[in-house]
Amino acid sequence: MADKTTLFLCRCGANIADFVDLEALEAWAKTNAGVDHVCVHDFLCAPSGKEFIEETLKSQGSKRAVMAACSPKLHQKTFNECAEHVGMNSAQVGMANIREQCAWVTPDKVQATEKARTLIQAALNRSLLHVDLKPQHMECLTDMVVIGGGIAGIEAALQAAEAGRKVTIFEKEISLGGELIKVEEIAPMGECAPCLLAPRLSAIRDNPDITVVSGVTVTDVLGFSGNFTVKARKKARYITDACIGCEACFEPCPVDVQSTFHLGLGTHKAVYTLFPGSEPAAAAIDQDHCLHLQGKECQACVDNCPFGAIDFAQKDEVIEVQCGAVIVAIGAEVYAPKDVPRLGLNGTSNVFTYAEFERLTCSNGPTGATLTLRNGSAPKSVAVLHCAGSLCADGLSYCSGVCCVNALMAGETIRKQIPDAIVYNIHDRLVLSGAEQEGFMRHQIKSGTQMVPCKDLAGVHIMEQPDGQLSVTVPGQAKLLVDMVILSTGLRPGANAKQLAATLNAELDAYGFFKSDHPILNATGSVIDGIAMAGSCVQPCHAPQSVVMAQAAMGRALSRLVPGRTIELETMVSFIDPEHCAGCKLCMATCPYKAIRFNSEKKTSEVNEAICRGCGTCAATCPSNAITARHFTNDQLLAEVKGVLHG
Amino acid sequence: MAEFEPNIVAFVCNWCSYGGADSAGGQKLAYPANVHLVRVMCSGRIDPEHVVAAFREGADGVMVMGCHPGNCHYRNGNHKALRRFRLFERVLIQLGIAKDRFELEWVAAGEGKKFQEVTTAMTERVRNLGPLSITGNVAEEALHV
Amino acid sequence: MSKVKAAIYWCSSCGGCDESIVDLGERILAIREAVDFVFWPCAMDPKYSDVEAMADGEITVSLINGAIRTSEQEEIAKLLRRKSQLVVAFGSCACFGGIPALANLKSKEGIFDRSYLNSPTNVNPEGIVPLEHSKTAEGYPMELPRFYETVYKLDDVIEVDYYLPGCSPNGDMVANAMGAILAGKLPPKGSFLLPDIALCKSCDRNATKPDSLTITEFKRLIHVQADPEQCFLNQGILCMGPATRDGCGYPCVKGNMPCTGCMGPVGSKDQGARMLSALGGILEGESEEQISKVLDGLPDPAGTFYRYSMSSSLMGSKRKENNP
Repeated sequence: MADKTTLFLCRCGANIADFVDLEALEAWAKTNAGVDHVCVHDFLCAPSGKEFIEETLKSQGSKRAVMAACSPKLHQKTFNECAEHVGMNSAQVGMANIREQCAWVTPDKVQATEKARTLIQAALNRSLLHVDLKPQHMECLTDMVVIGGGIAGIEAALQAAEAGRKVTIFEKEISLGGELIKVEEIAPMGECAPCLLAPRLSAIRDNPDITVVSGVTVTDVLGFSGNFTVKARKKARYITDACIGCEACFEPCPVDVQSTFHLGLGTHKAVYTLFPGSEPAAAAIDQDHCLHLQGKECQACVDNCPFGAIDFAQKDEVIEVQCGAVIVAIGAEVYAPKDVPRLGLNGTSNVFTYAEFERLTCSNGPTGATLTLRNGSAPKSVAVLHCAGSLCADGLSYCSGVCCVNALMAGETIRKQIPDAIVYNIHDRLVLSGAEQEGFMRHQIKSGTQMVPCKDLAGVHIMEQPDGQLSVTVPGQAKLLVDMVILSTGLRPGANAKQLAATLNAELDAYGFFKSDHPILNATGSVIDGIAMAGSCVQPCHAPQSVVMAQAAMGRALSRLVPGRTIELETMVSFIDPEHCAGCKLCMATCPYKAIRFNSEKKTSEVNEAICRGCGTCAATCPSNAITARHFTNDQLLAEVKGVLHG
Repeated sequence: MAEFEPNIVAFVCNWCSYGGADSAGGQKLAYPANVHLVRVMCSGRIDPEHVVAAFREGADGVMVMGCHPGNCHYRNGNHKALRRFRLFERVLIQLGIAKDRFELEWVAAGEGKKFQEVTTAMTERVRNLGPLSITGNVAEEALHV
Repeated sequence: MSKVKAAIYWCSSCGGCDESIVDLGERILAIREAVDFVFWPCAMDPKYSDVEAMADGEITVSLINGAIRTSEQEEIAKLLRRKSQLVVAFGSCACFGGIPALANLKSKEGIFDRSYLNSPTNVNPEGIVPLEHSKTAEGYPMELPRFYETVYKLDDVIEVDYYLPGCSPNGDMVANAMGAILAGKLPPKGSFLLPDIALCKSCDRNATKPDSLTITEFKRLIHVQADPEQCFLNQGILCMGPATRDGCGYPCVKGNMPCTGCMGPVGSKDQGARMLSALGGILEGESEEQISKVLDGLPDPAGTFYRYSMSSSLMGSKRKENNP
């Protein structure tokens, strides 16, 4: 009994029976030394068929079975369940695909029958080598880590907290908000960004389950889905938790520093917050510019702080958090085409990127939302260039898809302060989807925006005149002479994307954005289980899209990692024989999931069965055949080969 | 003398090429019965020893089929198969075995037609090459290299 | 106590394995106390008839080195098998075919043509080649051993009890093997007299291997100065270590030369297939052109991966039934 297989032949109605001589096969099987019992049924997958299977397996006391039927992709699971119901391990159920890969593709009945016979023999050979696969379950951590504190990160964290999980947000800046905090009104409907963000940031501050760690760089993400350890290095900001952001130390500070938050259009002191009312409220000291930290004499901030919150002795800190999943929401960088001379973006002219323009019109900007040229006067004419630095060889090669609506918003923002301003939008194709965005454009045109179509945007030249005005050459159109030019530029991956992807072992696409596991079915998942992404770090997004992705990414993580529930692991995982592993590490290099780790004590490689997905690439790689790919071993494959060739 | 019917063994990956074969079945696209499929989870699982074992056991031609580059269910198993087997092909040539007896092909789960085409073409090619007979330690045809 | 009888025979061999007995150094004296070499063409002047006269199993152990290329070698191998209790395939040629087995990349015709007829230094207008049956000048019939079409390893023609690979096995390996045989402390028949594990286990350069090794280009030793401490593969220099049996003490690597695989495969009979499978997993190159470029850095893959193991390779190691 131990070395025999119970064989089931399925007629599949007429689907197999009409094309393969099942009687002949039954007769052959009866004389086959490897078969303890053969039986035929019309529809093995039907309720009656499944009952039949279970009864037969029970009454025969079968140790293993082969179903000669349709494709395993259709019914392997069905038959596995039948076997499990009678106490057999599902690894003992083999299949021979005599329908899709035999009956349906072999018109000659004699040939089809012979082919079916060899397929069945192959499956019988293989079944003698089947080894039970032990189901594995793993407990998991259910807390979350979010990397990135922009709108996507904020929403993801709030989602997790709502489900009662603890969540840590790691943010590289000294406070939260990402790109959206730099916006006043969100195009196209003009929602007030601060009104939208403020309550969310308060919710984060007030929720004891959410921890914000700002001014950090994530250095390691170790472990695997359900069991991650995230390490980050928190840079010293020389300010303690006693700081409430009262700003009493700002004015006395003698040092002015270019503000990166203001994109170089304004300054802050060496002790600073990004803007009043930021969250966390605590200030930070810029160690590269602070006189005291440069070794010079200065105590201005200390002398003026009512809370004694300055601590020049503060050191960098390593923060370590355990979690079940990591959501990456590091956003993207607004592209500033400084190396494209024809666009005139040199930091001294009145050519600005749209992001810089937003700084000049935002209440938390350097001018308190008053739009002026660099000399302080109000612009009377503005040209907005769509696709600036995009879709061209010397810039971004792709369309970011989210900039056109902002470019059209410029006119509305300008006319709010300067009602008579002339606004030109120089464009080629317009990326505006849905009725709202389309309607928005028509409204701008009605309100005075002049649309200047141009088929060759890469040929647009912007030249500063001696008097500071800008001459804009537009191929196919009359030259424009304006006070200000706004470049509507695209988004590109942030400067830290590459390093973070390497840390996570996540894949980046050809443009450097985080690659989705599946563009349709799992757009927020990465190829690494437990690491998900949301927002512009995946592809340029506008705010609604970022939020949807964040909710989806966190939602999936919340459903998979449930307190009290264990995760079922893959059973067909690889196993490395420690007696024969020479520790050459070549398997580690080939594992797509970094599921193999080196045991430096034993000097052997070991498979982490919680991560292994059973592809078997390591087994093929091992130069000394020390790796077994469970359920697809060399012996099992060879047995099948012998079966199909020798019957 | 009976006409020579080649034996072709095709190693197919579960997610794409096996699906492609099922697709051919669903669309009733017939291909020669000479082609015998052996399923693996990923084309990255197949190494030259499997291919050689197939030749040794009597295959006149061997195919390895996987997902299209960029679409591997396991990220990049097919890329490993590609590199492995391009190197293997060079060795086959040195051993004096007709390179056409081995083929690496990419077939997606929906490509029933392509599956039919490549298996039919392979069978024809190998039929024209004749049987591969391995005597002693080398292939018959390699004895005359 | 009566001495143990041993025989050493060389088939298609360079003589290095016979010389490796000399590598025993002073240990040969102890062995000489226990062992009587009754047949050793390299060092003595025995006759085949001496061996034929022995009783079956009279020889305790025959150490047979060299590959099998001629009928004489097969004949004597079979003779020694009959007369011996144990036969050890001694050295890589006997175990796997060795360097001589690289001849399997060519045909016998091709080899004869090159060796006897059309090499630049040949002057052979009559086209004389060795023949199995011919006549001497005086008209006497002369027989030469038949030259086989392919090079075989020892266990293709006789049953082998133990394998001691190496090109050649070094003094320590030989001493350990002889010691085990004399003490009767042997593993199951059919085993190698060395651990079943690859070279990387012992190699002290293995610690320098990164967790994610990739090869972007194969570098040849004539073009680069190899770093004496770093793993060769990590330098883009091909080292057969991962696919080669451990146990030799890796003198080559210690001498800043990569392993060429002389100890043969481990975990498989097909050293070349395993190595090329492993390399395929770690090469860089996405497009066909890129891959081709990287592979062009290995101008002779069959010769490189099967340098010592061609007879144990790809085309199978079926026991030879009769010669073609």
